[in-house]
Formats: sequence, C-alpha cells, structure tokens
Amino acid sequence: MTATDYVRHEHHEFIDASHQALENGTLQSILGRLGDTLGARNREAWEAFGDSDQVRARARSIKDATLAELDRHLETLEQSVLARGGHVHWAADGEEACQAVLGILQSHQAHRVVKSKSMTSEEIHLNKALEEAGVEVVETDFGEYIVQVAGHRPSHIVGPALHMSSQDVADVLNEVSDEPLTNDREELAAFARRKLRRRFADAEVGITGVNFAVAETGSIVLISNEGNARLTTSLPRIHVAIMGIEKVIPNLADLPYFLKVLARAATGQKLSIYTSIVQGARRPEELDGPEEFHLIILDNGRSQILQSPLRESLFCIRCGACLNACPIYRNVGGHAYGGVYAGPIGAVLTPLYDGLSDHHHLPHASSLCGACQAACPVKIQIPEMLIKLREQLHTDQKMTGRVESFAYRGWAFTLRHPRLYRTMTWLASRTLGRWKRRSGWFRRLPGKLSGWTQSRDFPAPAPQRFRDWWREERS
Amino acid sequence: MNRDKFLANIRQASIAGRAYRVHPEQVSEQAGYVGTEDDCCAAMVDEVNKVGGVGTLVEDLQGALTRLADIVSSHAVKSAVCWQHDLLDRLGLASFLDARGVRHSQYSAWSSWSTDQCRTTWLDADIGITSADLAIAETGTLLVASGPGHERVVSLLPPVHVAIVGRSQIVPDLIDATSWLQELGFENFPSNVTLISGPSKTGDIELQLTTGVHGPGNWYVIVIQQDES
Repeated sequence: MTATDYVRHEHHEFIDASHQALENGTLQSILGRLGDTLGARNREAWEAFGDSDQVRARARSIKDATLAELDRHLETLEQSVLARGGHVHWAADGEEACQAVLGILQSHQAHRVVKSKSMTSEEIHLNKALEEAGVEVVETDFGEYIVQVAGHRPSHIVGPALHMSSQDVADVLNEVSDEPLTNDREELAAFARRKLRRRFADAEVGITGVNFAVAETGSIVLISNEGNARLTTSLPRIHVAIMGIEKVIPNLADLPYFLKVLARAATGQKLSIYTSIVQGARRPEELDGPEEFHLIILDNGRSQILQSPLRESLFCIRCGACLNACPIYRNVGGHAYGGVYAGPIGAVLTPLYDGLSDHHHLPHASSLCGACQAACPVKIQIPEMLIKLREQLHTDQKMTGRVESFAYRGWAFTLRHPRLYRTMTWLASRTLGRWKRRSGWFRRLPGKLSGWTQSRDFPAPAPQRFRDWWREERS
Repeated sequence: MNRDKFLANIRQASIAGRAYRVHPEQVSEQAGYVGTEDDCCAAMVDEVNKVGGVGTLVEDLQGALTRLADIVSSHAVKSAVCWQHDLLDRLGLASFLDARGVRHSQYSAWSSWSTDQCRTTWLDADIGITSADLAIAETGTLLVASGPGHERVVSLLPPVHVAIVGRSQIVPDLIDATSWLQELGFENFPSNVTLISGPSKTGDIELQLTTGVHGPGNWYVIVIQQDES
C-alpha cells in the first residue's frame, strides 16, 4: 500500500467513519465554512448568469446525445488524435490503464513523473502501480501534493486537502522542508512552488486527466486554477492523458457551454484561471511543449453503467458542486464516503464502481432534499438515482436482513387487508397510544429498535384513531 | 485491450442505453451568449480587475510603454522573456527593455540555443511579456495560442506576466473565441491554446485564497484603445 492509497482497500463503514468525522473539531469548523464560501459562490454565480438554466439544459442534452452514439464519437476522437501524430491506448479496466502507462514509461526508460490532479488516476490507483514499479511520482496540484505527503486520500473533488487546517498543512510540509515553515498560507504556497518547480524541470513524463475531449479537433481540455496542469503539459518530454469514455464531446462548438457551467458550479468563477486546449505534441518548429502525446481511453465499468438505469451518472463533469450543497457532506466530509468520489455523486458512483454490497450505506447517506440536483451544472437527478440504488438493495435479498424483510412483508400484507389494518391500529392506540397519552413520545425503544432512539425520540401512536375521532365529530 | 472489441462493446452499450435517455428541454440557440454591452476595452479592463489581475486602459502605444515602465520598476525586473509579436514590435519593446538595462530574449535567439540554455533562461526570468491571439471581454480572458515566437512558457514560468492587447484583438464572449478557433481549421490548429483568466490561484488551504502557487501570481493586462499604427 502506498502513501496516497491508505485505507482505500480496507473495509470502510460509512457509519463509523461519519461518527469520527462529527467528533473531529478541525474538520467540523472547515466544513462549516463550505456553505458560505464555495456553496454560496456557486448559488450567486447561477443567479448572476441569466441563462444558467438553459445552458445547463444544453450541456445536459449534449451529454445525453453523445452517450447515445458514444462509439462513433470515440472513433472520431481517435482518428483526430492519430492524425496529429498522437498515440491512443484502449483500457478495459484500471489494470490495463496502469499497464499502458508503465509500457510508455518503460519504452523511454523514464523514472520521474509529475501528475496534475486527475480523479480517474485516483480511481485506477495509478500512483500505487507506478511506485511499485520504482517510478517516482509527484502530485503537483497544491492540495493533492499536501495529501500525498501526508499519506491521506483526497477529501473533496476540487479541494483535496479540505479536511486539514493550515497548521496541519504546515506540520505535514515541515517533514519535507529543510527550513521550518509557519502556518502562513502564502509561505506554504511559496514553498510548494519552489519544491515542485524542480520536479517539473526534472520530470520526463507528465500525466494528466482530461476534463473534456473534443472528438472533431482531437483536443484534450484541462482546467486548473493553479497552473500545474499547464506546467505538466509544457515541461516534460512526454504527455500522457487518461480519460474515462464519457469525457468525449463531439464538437468544439459544444465546449464553451461546458466551460461556462463548470467553473460557476465548482468555485463561482465565470471561467477557471487556466483552460488548456491541447492538440497533441508540439509542432516541429516549436521550442516548448511535449514531444510525444499519449491518450489512454478507459472503460472500467462505465459501459455497464451506460446500459443501466443509472446511465445519467455518466453526465458528471466532476465540479464538486453537489458536495458543497449537500447537508450530509457538510457534516461528515469526504473521507466518510470511503471511495474516490465523495458527496452525493460519490454515493452514486462508489457503489457503481466498487460494488453495492460493500457500500450499502451510501445510497442511504442522503436526506433526498434535492440540493445536489439544484446545484448540478448538468442537472443530474441524483436523488432519483439514490432511490434506484435503494430499490436495488431491497430487491437483492442479501442486502436486507431476514427480520427486516419479514417486517416489510407483514406491513404490506396488513395494508392490503383493511379489516386487519383496522384491528391493528385499534390495538396500537389502545395499548401504546394510551400508555404514552401524556408525552406522545418514546424516549427509548427496546432491542434492535433502539437505534432509532439513540439520537431522537419515537412518536407514539395517538390514543384515539383518526377514524374514531372522525366518527365522533360527525355524529 | 483490443481496440475493435473495446469499441464493439461500447457500441452495444450505447444502443442498449438509449432506453434510458433523458428528455431534452427546449433551449434557445442564443442562450449562454453573454458578451458585453459596454465598450469592449473598458469591459475587459473591468473584468481583469475583478478576477484578481491588474488591468489598465491606455490611449495609445506610448501610454502602454509608460504603464510597462511602472510595472518593470515596481518589480525590480532584471530579466525578461518575450513573445515575438507585431504589436510588441510596434511598441519598440526591445529598445525599451535595453534602455532600462533589462536582459531580454525571445524566439529568434532561443531557436539557436541549446535546450538547457533555453530552460535556464525561462526558469530564471523575472517577467514574461506577451500579447494575445484574442481577448474575451466578458470574462477578462486572454487566449494565447502556442507557436514559434509564441512560446507557452512565457506566460507561465515567470512570477510576473504582462500582456499587452489592442482593441482589435478583443471579442465579447467565449463563444466568439471558440468560433474563431474553429475557423482556423484542423490543419492550422495550434498545438496548445490556453485561456488565461487571472493570476494563479489556489483555495486549497482552509478554502482561503492564495495566489501564485504555480503560475504567475502577478498578472497585468494593458489594453490599448487605439492600436492602429
């Protein structure tokens, strides 16, 4: 297990992890600010952008139409990249993708890699594979660098080190710094700039993700605020980009609509600071830029999702807006979700990629309030997908306890038989209802039911049934 | 994996997935085009300031040089890397920098240098001076396309980046900029096109803004109202 991979392969209980998160004071104070910073900026940006609803609808329908003919668009993308002298690799799963990267490194006898933030490379555990092969790999996004040195997992799609205070960051970076660093943010950023500049200058290979791939022009679009994606694609001799199949869009004319909604959703900016549109390697007369370009196109379970009722989850452009909007995420933070993707979209994606049975709590880690869907730049119906996953959990017998499924069947039977229903409600009001006539609440329930009353009271049945009250009123 | 097998699998999945297509909403063709109602030059400068850069509107070439002199002296600039660009030539950038004792170099020199010599010069420069291929008023964005004389490192490696653009280079909206790129055609498309909309930033520590982490932390845009010679 490598530094960035810790706890990833261990069994992870959402319930335990979220309890720990709730008791973590530092995390709570940072998460508390999320709604007033990124969340608020996102809402203000939608408000200031008069056409936001229409543009989001357009971005959504472009994704939908593209997925309906995905093979054709991927083929066009391949032809465009090849026409510019680039190389295309097809990877059915994470292992194949890692092998492809290692193959490229070996053919150049390259040992030093710089990476700019890529969720896809996290998903396939690329760092682990590279380190095991003796390759030195350095994350260059500031937040991603901090969590790599700390040995943590990223806790937010756009702010990987969101869970740490500036003092935590200083403690972590002091381990790799020759001079002592204070918790001053500017000083810490300046340190990372100096340290990583040397890595950029030495690296033979730069690895990036892909925000969008334009089929028609063979363009890879990379977005960052720091500039590390630009450095990664300017200084090393070889550029390797890794994309999931769903990242392709047909035409350059589609791109501005996605750029307009992505930055507004992620940080409330009209555009992110740097948007690089990369068309392969440098041309012969050019003096900078990579000499060789490789594109790795990854499936890793996506084609299964593409033909499932959860197809819409492939629209996601990884902006993090649903995390910032979610009342659950804003309490438990990213690590509680146990996967690469956190928050509402993580509660959908992690069960899809890593298996529903191992992550059966995630579809329930939502109040279905809909804030995620309202924030989403491509209007993904996240609550509906969580309900579909809950349904799947229920129909899969292994997922529900025998007692629970017996109780539900009994409940359904009672509802279908009015006479039985009347008897049961009469019994309940006569016994439990009359017993708790004063307070109307149970403070504690016995046995398995005590879970409910651990953090809230349970309402007692009314001492008089509605139908009895109604009859009295009318007579 | 075998390419054909991979694509055949995707083909089958996309067809099966059509059963779950979402219902499209009616969207007007114009939706999303924002542009600007003000004068493009003024709007550009305004936006540059809003995104954390320093924008200055100047009358003419002379005004641009005066402004550049301020920037060069306030950052105690000793070495510069530059684009080769018609507008910078018309400014007389080279003799301006010579007169101030600033070491400077560009493509015409670099193309005969060794890779190491280029790298050292690029990495050590105090300032990068460029124009742009286009500027976008709505978002305060510079569009810089790579090519000989338009090295990508110039706007990226030095801690200070100054861009000088003229009125004729400014378009209202991002959508105009992508149309412009499209018209270049597949063959003439530059190897790298970067949209720059501010100084390098990060919010990675406690969601607080910190500038200059990788790219230039100081970002100046000088807009010339009358850029015709």
